[in-house]
Amino acid sequence: MPTRRQFNTLLAGASMAAAAGSRAAATPKPGGDLAIAYDGAAITFFLLDAHNCRIAPQARILRSIYDNLVVLRDDQTLAPWLATSWEISSDRRQYTFTLRQGVVFHDGTTFDAAAVKANFDRILDPANALASLPEIGPFSGATVLSPTQVRLEFSAPFEPFLYNLSSTNLAMVSPAAVAKYGKSFSQNPVGTGPFKFVSLVPGHEIRLAKNPDYQWAPANAAHSGPAYLDTLTFTNVPEQLTRVAALQSGQVQGADLIPSQNIAQFKTDPDFQFLQKNLPGTNFAMALNVDKAPWNDFDVRNAVRLSLNIDEIVRVIYLGTIERAWSPLSPNLFGSAEPDLRGSWKPDPAQARAILDSKGWVPGGDGIRVKNGQRLAISFIDANGNREQRLDVIHLVRRQLNETGIDLAVDSEAFGTFFTKIAHDEFDAVGVSQYAPDPDVLRYSFVPQFRAPYDGTRANDPLLNQWLIAAAAEGDPVQRAKLYAQAQTRIVNQVYAIPIYIERYNLALATSTRGVALDAHGFPVYHAAAIGSA
Amino acid sequence: MAFLLRRLGSAVFVVFGAMTLVFFVLYMLPGNPAALVAGPGASPAMIATIQAQLGTNRPLPQQYVDYLWRLAHGDLGTSFATNDPVLARIWAQCPATLELTFCSCAIAVVLGVSLGIVSAICENRWPDRLIQTIVLFLVAMPSFWIGILLILLFSVLLHWLPAMGSATLAQLVLPSACLGLNVSGQLERMVRGSVLDVLHEPFVATLRGKGLQEFPILFRHVLRNALIPVITLFGVLIGQLLSGAVVIETLFARQGLGRLVVDALSLRDIPVLQGVVLFVSVFYVLLNLLIDLSYAWIDRRVRT
Repeated sequence: MPTRRQFNTLLAGASMAAAAGSRAAATPKPGGDLAIAYDGAAITFFLLDAHNCRIAPQARILRSIYDNLVVLRDDQTLAPWLATSWEISSDRRQYTFTLRQGVVFHDGTTFDAAAVKANFDRILDPANALASLPEIGPFSGATVLSPTQVRLEFSAPFEPFLYNLSSTNLAMVSPAAVAKYGKSFSQNPVGTGPFKFVSLVPGHEIRLAKNPDYQWAPANAAHSGPAYLDTLTFTNVPEQLTRVAALQSGQVQGADLIPSQNIAQFKTDPDFQFLQKNLPGTNFAMALNVDKAPWNDFDVRNAVRLSLNIDEIVRVIYLGTIERAWSPLSPNLFGSAEPDLRGSWKPDPAQARAILDSKGWVPGGDGIRVKNGQRLAISFIDANGNREQRLDVIHLVRRQLNETGIDLAVDSEAFGTFFTKIAHDEFDAVGVSQYAPDPDVLRYSFVPQFRAPYDGTRANDPLLNQWLIAAAAEGDPVQRAKLYAQAQTRIVNQVYAIPIYIERYNLALATSTRGVALDAHGFPVYHAAAIGSA
Repeated sequence: MAFLLRRLGSAVFVVFGAMTLVFFVLYMLPGNPAALVAGPGASPAMIATIQAQLGTNRPLPQQYVDYLWRLAHGDLGTSFATNDPVLARIWAQCPATLELTFCSCAIAVVLGVSLGIVSAICENRWPDRLIQTIVLFLVAMPSFWIGILLILLFSVLLHWLPAMGSATLAQLVLPSACLGLNVSGQLERMVRGSVLDVLHEPFVATLRGKGLQEFPILFRHVLRNALIPVITLFGVLIGQLLSGAVVIETLFARQGLGRLVVDALSLRDIPVLQGVVLFVSVFYVLLNLLIDLSYAWIDRRVRT
């Protein structure tokens, strides 16, 4: 089991190799508008509040509007950003941050210790019910020591905190703007980032403009000072072919989540460049509803899994552009058990049939098994549409399940119904995946009392709960990684979730666009972007 | 005048019926709008508070009467999701959809009617066969698929037209062609059939016998009679164009009422949905009223 540092060294090697391949920089040309067509498939209403988003397609846009106290580097170490330094008390319950001076929000108010305190008080207040609440863990309050010094206090040690601080979910928002806009802050975002919010058309388009005062890029930035671009426009283009066409025809300079069949073309065409990165967080997995019969029976869950040939599914759908997943945590995240779990089980439809036979599920007239008048059918609930070709994956899952006499129907719902049905347990299976910079993401997915309401996992396993809660407080990285390894092995062995593929973000850009990079979270950074060189 | 009043009366009745139906159907859908407004992390207590603010916890009949009362005062309500007045949201999306509807109508009419006439005149000869084959494709292919082919040809290969957006006139061409082509196929079949029916009637033979040229026969006598059923069908097709806009707006990443409906449906934003349905049904009913009136203008026998 590697420690966090050894793990970092491994990743650093990989990222250096990647950097060596990138083009030599010429002087970027200032000005211009960069238009990006992005896949916001399920997004119908923009939530541009950093503390109440947790939706990856929009968090990628938030990256340009907001800054964080610390930045996560490609080697998985943390570096200064809006905080120039920090100290952790010996009991690991107090973090004292020294803040950068001269930082101002887009609304002209000053970023200082009071603003940092206001940010964390806002997330902590249960009345605000913000989606980022799980990420501050046992945070109990903040004390302003001086305009440039703030102390954040915790009721128990919380190891994920510094890493979570690097995520857009805990970015710094303007307290004055929050007070001014109230509930509609998510429609009028104000941060300190390299771009300021200009306007939006709900569900359709978001326009940003250069922040001319920007002088506080993170320690690892490719460029200091204001952004080169005048404006940055994001258009939500849910149809993948239209995104590809808009880029190929020159209507936009960038398009993300290019479908696998078009990737080779963008990689080889000299008119385009292609960026991609695996996302840290949880791998895309199918979680069975273990609250409900018959999925509460391990043997039935195991039969479902043995019916699936996941290598084949991932190969057929993603044509080798995305890797198959074995563990709940993505391999580029500290504590991932991907190497240990690789090859941990094999598809075996014959055994699946034998298990189901022995459990009294016998094939009915249409080949689907029946027991006491109940059909062995999975209702797979979904609200994402075919984002990342997920429904294509699920259709192949159904075909393989049918072979052993299990049926699956996709229950495509709008977000409203999706949340309601999740809350009322009206589903048999759901696709789960979350972006996160720390393995603690497993705690608020699998431990019932911390589980986010939108999360469809239903495990309530005392051992799993105990390990994941202990891991959040564990200061020794070796011990911590061990707890996560145990937890992931248990999730896989108990078939609480069946990992399917490793999340990978991609972005194709016109060659004339330079300076766009994907950060350690796999989010695009447009601060150093420019169209052409001077 | 009595004709006009009768039509107006039934139009009001249809709009009222559509409104009432939509009101009750929307409130019967699963999914709690308050839970969505509150956001993914909200507690049950918060959701209850928001429910009280939105007024969705009151008995349904009371909400219905309240809705009618506000409507009678010209108030369409405010969006649950954004707090904007519903009318403003509809107004903002309306131009893009109307543009699309009118342009695709124009394409459908010009293509459908002219091809239909040519086809009828050349009955069972090669131009007819060719047109029928093309029309078979236009009718059979989903507009979504036609749209993809148009994007590949005109945006990706030829670089003539933009693939997405709804700001400029150039961005209107592909979406309206896509919607219009599909409808033009249906229109062509109707025009062809209708013109053929009239051409085979004895009075046409009589006109020919009197020595009239084919062109005046066609335009002065045949079309006047043949177009009445076509105009009726056209009223129905407008509805199809409006509903087809949902798919086309998504494919071409356009703004418009279709996207607004999908957004509002996903968020259970009931006031917005009610507003759009009201708007579209008024538009549809008015258009069909105009079509009814146009019969009277084309064929005086209808007025009695």
